[in-house]
Amino acid sequence: MIPVRCFTCGKVISEVWEEYRSRVEERKKNLQKGEVLKVGDILDDLGVERYCCRRMLLSHVELVDVLAPYQ
Amino acid sequence: MKLEILELKDRKAKFVLSEVTPAFANSLRRAMISDVPKMAIDYVDIYDNTSVLFDEMLSLRLGLIPLKTNADMYRFPAECECKGAGCALCQVSLTLSAEGPCVVHSRDLKSSDPETVPVDQNIPIVELKTGQKVVLTAVARLGNGKEHAKFQPVCASGYKNVPVISIGEKCDMCKMCIDACPRGVFKADKGKLVVTDLYKCSLCKHCIEACDTGAITLDTDNEAFIFTVETDGSYTAHDIIDSAMKSLKGRADQLSEIMSAF
Repeated sequence: MIPVRCFTCGKVISEVWEEYRSRVEERKKNLQKGEVLKVGDILDDLGVERYCCRRMLLSHVELVDVLAPYQ
Repeated sequence: MKLEILELKDRKAKFVLSEVTPAFANSLRRAMISDVPKMAIDYVDIYDNTSVLFDEMLSLRLGLIPLKTNADMYRFPAECECKGAGCALCQVSLTLSAEGPCVVHSRDLKSSDPETVPVDQNIPIVELKTGQKVVLTAVARLGNGKEHAKFQPVCASGYKNVPVISIGEKCDMCKMCIDACPRGVFKADKGKLVVTDLYKCSLCKHCIEACDTGAITLDTDNEAFIFTVETDGSYTAHDIIDSAMKSLKGRADQLSEIMSAF
């Protein structure tokens, strides 16, 4: 699960997580071959300004689906 | 003391406080961080949790969710008439019950007080798969930032000195500093170098390095501070600055009261 707040500054970043993920997925689908995925403008649009908060969203890997079968 | 407000939004404030000492500016910053009381979930009764998260992780996530706070309505449990046992004057209970498949959000928390509710509605708490269940009651209480970061109403709150940029007569208008400045502080205007937005300057000194004639000097004003206050939504930025100052004043009053006894 995405951490509720940014580890460094404490801003609540999980609020925008679901919108961020769906917008990135949407962009991935429409990506041309060989084109690099860029998401900086999405983060700007969602009001995630500082680089400490941006790395929270950028580097997050959702593990719930991986762990769920072993419950 | 002078105050110039650059930006005042619900959750963010930027202002320049001048003609004060660094000690005063710092005391305001510290009061905002640790002296403004805020409601946060502090105790959780878990009746059922078959989700992928451990009980501890689930409670930690609940604690970090900012709650709308009306500090006038509540007291600290230690100062309450119930002596910390827990009553309607010092705590709020929130219930959560969900069964998968679904994602549990902060909006699913049902509060006993319609005013003390999660500020952000879309915070994912836990994802539940088919057959997984979470049933719990959480108790929120007042606390302050000294105790735990979850009781801290501001997230990025700090200040920096107002820079003083002076351009000497040695300037030969080579315009190297205009390109060198990453914040775009300088501008050429009618054959003269001018500073457009002083508050943008980050004191990186790239302009000094770029200047061959040594015309630019940088200094800081030790009596003026650019403050940035960002809240997590539990209060408005205006209210936080206000109650931080009140708490400072309250402490000064307390001291003078004690002194009057001697």
